Amino acid sequence: MDIGTSSWPSASVEAVEEISEGIAVLTYNPLNSDEIIRSVADDRAGATAVFIGTTRNSFKGRSILNLDDIIAQATCRSGKVVTRLDYQAYSKLAIKTMSNIIRETHAKFSRSTHQAPDLPVQSIIRCSVYHRLGTVPVGEPSIVIAVSSPHRKESFLACEFILEEVKLKAQIWKREFYEGEEDEDAEWKANVS
Amino acid sequence: MASQPTITVLYFAAASTATGLTEELFILPETPFPLSTLASLITSRHPNKGLEKILGTSSWSVNAEMVDDPEKTSLRGGEEVAVICPVSGG
Repeated sequence: MDIGTSSWPSASVEAVEEISEGIAVLTYNPLNSDEIIRSVADDRAGATAVFIGTTRNSFKGRSILNLDDIIAQATCRSGKVVTRLDYQAYSKLAIKTMSNIIRETHAKFSRSTHQAPDLPVQSIIRCSVYHRLGTVPVGEPSIVIAVSSPHRKESFLACEFILEEVKLKAQIWKREFYEGEEDEDAEWKANVS
Repeated sequence: MASQPTITVLYFAAASTATGLTEELFILPETPFPLSTLASLITSRHPNKGLEKILGTSSWSVNAEMVDDPEKTSLRGGEEVAVICPVSGG
């Protein structure tokens, strides 16, 4: 099948996997951070850490959609203006990768440093990982991660661990489209580990 | 006549841009067919598209499982194989 700018690979579909440790979601809809934060709420939680990754208006000197940046572009011929970012995923595999990262996170942070060593207390309560697909306008979230825990340290660490693992492993791809260039010249990015 | 062993190959990101496709069927010329030789089969169907370089930096999945060692993986027909380009989520 041909891939136009308004269609996505048939394998890049919405997906949800809910496990006892949390939930992984791939969606073409805008991410609702408040709703995602509420999804990890728990009376045992003393902390909720949240990471919201938004699409940036610049990449290594390439910038856009901000008047100052556009003016700056006029004086910087090497710069490129990003007009939009498209995300696609191999959803069937990416959703498994995301839920495995949640499981791994629970195992890795299985004990709070604040806890006595033999108390059977969960140090991470619940993780939610939402990644958006399709066209994401500049300034909107492409990924939202929320982690609840009894104590602050584990939720901070777990949130960052999940983000780095998703960027490294989840079968999701991002393409940047630049102003004044043909769509076929848009660049597929790679997360350098 | 026995049905020919066929696989579905999924393309994403740079691989789909280069081929102009998101999925494609391949009849396996022999079975078992080593996954390590699938790249040359794909490239021969899409010559001069820069696929050698793309496939050289990509991994494979078979039936939605990442493949650790393509040298030790064979295809028999019916599999869903995906070209997993370097990922860029987040």
